[in-house]
Amino acid sequence: MADSQPTAAERFVNGILPENPIFRQILGTCPTLAVTNGVKAALTMAGAVAFVLVCSNLLVSLIRPLLKPHLRILVFTLTIAAFVTIADRLLAAYMYDMSKQLGPYIPLIIVNCIIIARCEICASKQGPLPALGDALGQSLGFLLALTAMASVREILGAGTWLGLTVLATKENGGWFDPWSIMLLPPGAFLVFGLLMGAVNWYSARASKPVGPA
Amino acid sequence: MDHLVSLLLLALSTAIINNFVFHYFVGICPYIGVSRRVDMAFGMGAAVTFVMGVASFLSWMVTYFVLRPGASLTAWVAGLAGADAGSMDLSILKYAVYIFVIASAVQFVEMYLRRFFPPLYKAFGVFLPLITTNCCILFACLEIGTDKRMTSGSPDFWPLDLALVYALCGGMGFALAITIMAGIREELDLCDVPKALRGPSIVLIIAGILAMAFLGFAGVDTNIGKLLGR
Amino acid sequence: MTMILLAGAVLLVLAIGAALILGWANVAFRVETDPRIDAINAVLPGANCGGCGCVGCGDYAAAVVQQGMAVNQCTVGGASVATAIGRIMGVDVKASWPQRPVVHCAATQEQRLLRAEYRGERTCAAANLVGGLQGCIYGCMGLGDCTHACAYDAIHVKDGLAVVDYLKCVGCGACVRACPRNIISMIPFKADRVLAVCCSNKDFGLEVKAVCKVGCIGCKGCERLMPDLFKIKDNLPGIDYEKYDSATDFAPVLNKCPMKRLMYVGKPTPRDLEATKDQELPKEARADFKTTVDETEWRG
Repeated sequence: MADSQPTAAERFVNGILPENPIFRQILGTCPTLAVTNGVKAALTMAGAVAFVLVCSNLLVSLIRPLLKPHLRILVFTLTIAAFVTIADRLLAAYMYDMSKQLGPYIPLIIVNCIIIARCEICASKQGPLPALGDALGQSLGFLLALTAMASVREILGAGTWLGLTVLATKENGGWFDPWSIMLLPPGAFLVFGLLMGAVNWYSARASKPVGPA
Repeated sequence: MDHLVSLLLLALSTAIINNFVFHYFVGICPYIGVSRRVDMAFGMGAAVTFVMGVASFLSWMVTYFVLRPGASLTAWVAGLAGADAGSMDLSILKYAVYIFVIASAVQFVEMYLRRFFPPLYKAFGVFLPLITTNCCILFACLEIGTDKRMTSGSPDFWPLDLALVYALCGGMGFALAITIMAGIREELDLCDVPKALRGPSIVLIIAGILAMAFLGFAGVDTNIGKLLGR
Repeated sequence: MTMILLAGAVLLVLAIGAALILGWANVAFRVETDPRIDAINAVLPGANCGGCGCVGCGDYAAAVVQQGMAVNQCTVGGASVATAIGRIMGVDVKASWPQRPVVHCAATQEQRLLRAEYRGERTCAAANLVGGLQGCIYGCMGLGDCTHACAYDAIHVKDGLAVVDYLKCVGCGACVRACPRNIISMIPFKADRVLAVCCSNKDFGLEVKAVCKVGCIGCKGCERLMPDLFKIKDNLPGIDYEKYDSATDFAPVLNKCPMKRLMYVGKPTPRDLEATKDQELPKEARADFKTTVDETEWRG
């Protein structure tokens, strides 16, 4: 039975595009929209999620013999809550400005569907090594998705990337009139929708069926 | 009177101006998932509002009596153990306690509804387990629990009525947003959406346009406040 | 130190309190459900396709236990599920044949007379309101309402004609309900391939030939040859599937039909697969007249 489960390496590769948590599984959309108005915030959020995901997956996969079926969601949630508290305190201690900017979205990692879904699908069924591979793969996919969104929004919305000027804005004597809608909620939704459309189009092209479909 | 005006402005602000979906981006997963049909969307919105009321009430109680700095129960227990009652600040437990309270409350409500209100359970009971891990509820509880006035330890914290109005109106704002989207999606079935954009993509793009519309409400509550002389 | 102890104590108290309250609620708020409903639910495929006529698998399970609905209504699960439900309910199940849809039209685009270019909504329902796309007002229009309705990717429009993929079809009946001209009907498949009448044109003779190269002209030849199996109504033969026996030699009536509208439909036979194995084929199989029946020649 264990042979039919994906290996650690397969889990890792799957998390990047085939089962990308944002664009294919459509989980964890709340932080994707909320913290991507700057690349720095996006990277911080991706780092926090990676930390929580890796720790939770490992812990859950180690305690999986003890899980009772009807209580497992509660156990996952409380494990994740503990690690999110740790992550939140670490961020507040070492990156205070970022912690203030991310605000309530760090504790919302507790109810981030990605982590609960990975615990349910992978960590509660496989050993620590595949769980680790899965967590790393999904975190990488999440990081790539978030960075893509944040880059688009930041470049078009403020002309910078990670604080470095890419398109000189009018205030700084340049030519670019920044699209401030990109930094506001509508921009987030639009960029996300269009990026998802692009990923769908690419996936459909890459797996074109032979013959009439 | 003044308090009533505060409540009204808070209600307006939470439901429409700082709408949970279009301004704070919480509850997007069910927003995309459950907004296919108007009756399901309305059921989800009603369930979210109801659970928000219950969960925020319970988490307010726990925060006020146990978790905040200088909370009465904690101080009493600490006093019994002989420690300095004033320095007991259990806010670190907030996240775990809130999610635990929400999960237990939802489970209890589901059992209660199933037994005593079967038609209501049929209408929106299936959504209740989904709502446990919904960002909206935890977000509302967190906002109530981490408000500056509470964490400063002063006795003048958010009174319970403000907290409840915040939670219920937040839920109603979510219900409004998801029902609008369901209405649009029902019409969208007859349209020729490009293949790559079908499904969540077009929903998000439409949400963006709706968010733009809701942006127009920005500042309404401050201006109404000014009209009413504050 | 006190903080840690206090924190632990708070969590412990909360956990014990919640456990007690929820434990009490579990007993106090118990809803008595018939255990047979859960047992039937476990046996059903869980596809929620609606083929049984109920809203979902859960609804069907409840209907079987509470309203005495027939146990063999699940088309996806078929005979095995019917037997299992019968065992749970303590009833005997009589064997039933799987029901599968048959499209009563086999005219491809170039065999039809086309009218003016249709520029309306590209759905069969809309086109049917204005009389359709082609001369034949009874036949398949090929705009794909059935494809859209199918949740199993088992019916597709090929060359203007709806074609069922019997390898994927589970018999839920969604395509039957979706077709605005009602030319798809559910037929009990007493074998992997059964004979079907592939035309729905109720007109006679030259009127049919004017709009379709291969439509049934209502010559009644089939009825004269095998009167107990074929019944003509409105210039169109209907096959009585109660009396249908797949072992019958149908070659004479197949030869008799001048428009060759009596065709075998169903899963591909080894002959079909052998004959077409070198061809670049789409994934689904089509009924191929030439390889299915030996003696008949195409005289069309």
